[in-house]
Parts: sequence; C-alpha cells; structure tokens
Amino acid sequence: MHDLVLLIVAAALVNNVILARFLGLCSFMGVTTKLDTAVGMGMACTFVITVSAVGDWALQRYLLEPYHLDYLRTVTFILVIAAAVQFTEMVIRKVSPALFQTLGIYLPLITTNCAVLGVCLLLVEGKMGLVDSTIFAFASSIGYSLVMCLFAGLRERIALADVPRLFAGPPIGFITASLLALAFMGFSGMGAN
Amino acid sequence: MVEGVARVVAADGSVAWLEPEPGSSCGGCMSAALCGTKAGGSRQAAKRFPLANDADLHVGERVVVGIEESSLLRASMVAYGLPLAAMLTAAVVASKIFMAGDGAAGLAGLAGLLLGLAAARLCADRLSIRGELTPHFLRRALAGEDCHPHKG
Repeated sequence: MHDLVLLIVAAALVNNVILARFLGLCSFMGVTTKLDTAVGMGMACTFVITVSAVGDWALQRYLLEPYHLDYLRTVTFILVIAAAVQFTEMVIRKVSPALFQTLGIYLPLITTNCAVLGVCLLLVEGKMGLVDSTIFAFASSIGYSLVMCLFAGLRERIALADVPRLFAGPPIGFITASLLALAFMGFSGMGAN
Repeated sequence: MVEGVARVVAADGSVAWLEPEPGSSCGGCMSAALCGTKAGGSRQAAKRFPLANDADLHVGERVVVGIEESSLLRASMVAYGLPLAAMLTAAVVASKIFMAGDGAAGLAGLAGLLLGLAAARLCADRLSIRGELTPHFLRRALAGEDCHPHKG
C-alpha cells in the first residue's frame, strides 16, 4: 500500500503531467478561463485517461510486445484513445441523455488532448503491472485536473484585477502558469529516498 | 450559474426545443472538423433539449440558458467519478487484498466499471427527476452575445 501512495504522489504532484512534463498545454490554456469548464474537462479527461490506459496496457502486453510490433505503438494507442472517447460518449448517452446534454461538449475534444497519449506512452516506459498502471494513469489525470482547476481559479481572479494593458489576456496567463510551475517544482525529489 | 447560448429549433405549444450553440473558441480549434460541435453538426442535433415555453419563444430565436455550478459538478461526479471509483476499487481490492493476477484484476475492474455505470444511471435518474440536469431559461440573447461575457 505504501508503494501505491508513493506512486500516486509521484504521478499527481512530483511529475505533474502539465507542469513537469508539459503535456496537455493546449487545454491548459484554452479551457481554463472559467472554473466550471476546467472542472468538466478535468473530470472527462480523468475518466478517459484511466479507461484508455487499461486498454493500452492490455494491447501493449498481449499484442505489441509478444509480436514485436512496438513500431505501431503510437498509432495503436491513438486508436484506443479514440475508441475510449467514443465508448464514453455512447455510454453516457445511453445511461442518461440529460447527462450527455450537460457534459457531452468536452468528450470529443479529449481525442486530440496530448496528455492522454502522453500518459499512455509513459506507462510503457514504466513497465508496471495492470493495477499499478491504472493507478498511475488515474493519479496523473488527477494531477492534470488539479492544475487545471488551480489555474482556472487564478485566471478568474486575474480577470477581475487591474492588469496593465500590455500584459492583459494570454501574457499574464503565461506568467501565472510559470509561477504555478515554479511552485510545483517544490515537490521535486519528494519520496526519492 | 453556468450560462450558455442556445437557438430555438422547434416550438410546439408549451415546449420549445433548443440546440446549444458551439463555443466561440470552436471556430479556431484545429479539430473542429473532427469533433462535430460546429453549428448544424449531428452531435449538436443530438444535444437538443426541451424547455418549457413560458416565454413564448419562436423558431430561430437565441436565448441564454443556465445551469447551477453545483449541478454541473454533481453531474460530472455521477457520470465520471462513480464508474471510475468503482472500477479502481474493484481492481485494487482484487490485486492487493485477494492477490489476484493481472487478468483477474482486469476482470474485477471491468465488473466494477459496469456496476459503477449502473449506479451512475440510478443517480442520474434521481438528478433528472429533481430537475438538476435541465437548463433553465434566463433571458433572450442580445445580438452578438455568446457564453463568454468576460473575454477580451
């Protein structure tokens, strides 16, 4: 259990997908103007990353590795991610049409989110078992959602602040993101011993 | 309140059918053709929702509809959080407590996911009955108004 906790802290905070690995930056800047959209995107991404990580792990272990098809990894993983997104959309539409109307807008956008593919490729490097891979993917996506929500909260406050015209909009957003990345650097080395 | 702009596509006595307008950022997105959220797309048609036509809405009118932030958060938790929590719990319990191998842990995770989806369906029905998933009519949209009032 101690190993699991370390794995979660390392994936969510120390090696944060956005601020340490610099993945998913498009959604990080694009969907964080409002906290509620950031929460929606974060939750949708968490679900899709975790589900597609399970599928990618199984394909890597039982198909790509035994048959030496590693050169097809990226294409295969993209297919799995697209299938996971479609599966999620279909299931939510079936489970509750009302939920689909409320949340469906974020789902197609996840297919093109590089954080999803990045996490799945990192799993291969880690050479972990199924459960550890799933927990790693889940923790990584929780880290992604956490940073999205933090940044959205900051941007909502900045929108109310009197920012010099030269810095208004994306420039102050990038400066805030860099300060947030510096703050997350404080986690580096945690659990190394 | 989370606000969005929708267009009336049908009005039938006391019920109006609305289609949400895509966000202003969709036009500049490189994957716009892929995701189908642009106006008139099949996915947009699938997101049509009914609204009580108390304000005498007519076809083609643009209106601002809203949903509570807490409802959106609750809906996200039900749709994504519940199935995911069930899947992870089942897989971790099978692997760490019952010392199952990868295959058995995977099957346990799949069973957990299906159970979680069933629970999500029950919770979503309950939310729907309480009216928490239904957007409310707020006002008629002004010319050029979109769902991002603070941009720029």
